[in-house]
Amino acid sequence: MSKKNLAMSVSIAIFAIYLLIALFAPLLTPYDPFIIAGGIYEEPSPEHLLGTNDLAQDIFSQLIYGTRATLLLGFTGAILSVSIGTAIGIVSGYYGGRVDEFITRTLDIVMTIPTFPLLLVMMMFFTPGIYVTGILMGLLGSARGVRVIRSQVLSIAQMNFITGVKVMGASDLYVMAKHVLPNLLSLVTVQFVFSAQHFMVMGIGLGFLGLGDSNVIDWGQMIDRAYQNGGVINGLWWWLIPPGMAVTFLSLSLALFGYSMEDEINPRMKLTRI
Amino acid sequence: MDIIRIKNLNAGFPTKRGLVRAATSVDLTIREGECLGLIGESGCGKTVLGMTIMRLLQPNTIISGEIFYKGQNLLALKEEEMRKLRGKELGMILQNSTTSLNPVLSVGDQIAEGIILHEGLRKKEAREKATELLEKVQIKNAAVMSKRYPHEFSGGMRERAMIAIALACSPSFVIADEPTTGLDNRTMKGVISLLAEVAKSKSMLFITHDLAAASEICDTIAVMYAGEIVEWGDVDEVFSAPLHPYTSGLLNSLPERGFIAIPGSSPSLIDLPGGCRFKERCACSEERCARAHPLMKEISSSHKVRCHRYD
Repeated sequence: MSKKNLAMSVSIAIFAIYLLIALFAPLLTPYDPFIIAGGIYEEPSPEHLLGTNDLAQDIFSQLIYGTRATLLLGFTGAILSVSIGTAIGIVSGYYGGRVDEFITRTLDIVMTIPTFPLLLVMMMFFTPGIYVTGILMGLLGSARGVRVIRSQVLSIAQMNFITGVKVMGASDLYVMAKHVLPNLLSLVTVQFVFSAQHFMVMGIGLGFLGLGDSNVIDWGQMIDRAYQNGGVINGLWWWLIPPGMAVTFLSLSLALFGYSMEDEINPRMKLTRI
Repeated sequence: MDIIRIKNLNAGFPTKRGLVRAATSVDLTIREGECLGLIGESGCGKTVLGMTIMRLLQPNTIISGEIFYKGQNLLALKEEEMRKLRGKELGMILQNSTTSLNPVLSVGDQIAEGIILHEGLRKKEAREKATELLEKVQIKNAAVMSKRYPHEFSGGMRERAMIAIALACSPSFVIADEPTTGLDNRTMKGVISLLAEVAKSKSMLFITHDLAAASEICDTIAVMYAGEIVEWGDVDEVFSAPLHPYTSGLLNSLPERGFIAIPGSSPSLIDLPGGCRFKERCACSEERCARAHPLMKEISSSHKVRCHRYD
């Protein structure tokens, strides 16, 4: 097995573990993460693997449940942003001319607005909820992917087989959906993986800033709680470090997967590594 | 009965350096069942003429004139109505089969597409029909091959697949744009005999610079030079007794006729010379060739030429 394949397998394996944990969270947790499970600020023990927090909730159970929120947030954002970005990119690259000019210029303006502060401001206007956050992130982040998709579509649209399909009497919409999109699939996958990673980390950032959904547990809110309620001052590492590590490994596995996918689809990058 | 009648067709592309006049006052008719061969050097506007009939040139192209298909003017149709004709009534075999097939779809699916679009068949039935079509264009193991992808096809097979796509909805008029380019001699012969078979049952515009192929398949020949038709007539008359010096030049450049190239190169379509467009390369150019633009002259009912020598 080559190094690159190894990287891909490892990343898939790590991600699969996260996915399984998220799916089977109720089976893996000894306590409901919201209930009072013992005393407050308990140290790690066989009953509480990672101790308890200031509200006497089991930290290990919270960590497990937090996987769900983080994955959900990342994927909602990624699905939305990649669909919007791909659709706009295809239209822009396929029609070219004025349509392209308009979209590209608008995008230039949109790109100058920093996403994260805008997201913070917009969050104020909505009831914080995990889907609301995901959708907002997806909408604001969709500009990122448009350029990459557009540039690829520009070259696909010039290919002979596109004329071939038009010769058969196909409409533009048909050509875009059936002939342009399938040729973009690998690129879209890579975009999706990187967006998911980006939005997961962003979602945790929001949780840490106190903008998370208070009805669910996510790692950002856990770290936030540890900061606010004496976890750091008292050196309760089992409260702070595990959610941090969980984020790091998840993010790492997605990044690794994204890069190895990118290598796979881009022959030029492959050559330079030999 | 005329299936295609082109009247005073002009096509030009606006560019930064000026208007590229790819077709100038083209008049042509193709009768029902006839195969017209359009010959000429690369860049003389042959493909543009074909694409104008299909109305698939870039949207900023300036087009004037009329193209009648069975009596209706194609250039006056709405895009939607035109789309219904493409593939269904007007088939086209594109130049360069290597890049004219979508690499990520199986060949059978690509043939089936047109059938699904126009005849509303279900995917399964359309696929079966695609296999039949592949058999018709003499691809062995059609059932297996229809599931294969373009890169698994050889050049000749790809060309045959392109023909199958063009014929999928049995159009009454087919444009074949240099279908034999880039094939080796033996494969080419196979494709040509297949096209000759197709030409028997359909009206066809055969765009090529392969004169031998044209003489084999076509009933009439039109010679194009720098965007205009310079000679047009019955295939035997044009090839045995060419009237225009350019046609003679093309024939003399064939290996079996001495391999004599026409001196010079064709004029830029942006900056066309006044008078006769061929005069600079013509062995028998006279003073009046520079002065006046020659008109199309009818020599006999089946032969026309654009040259001052026949005034």
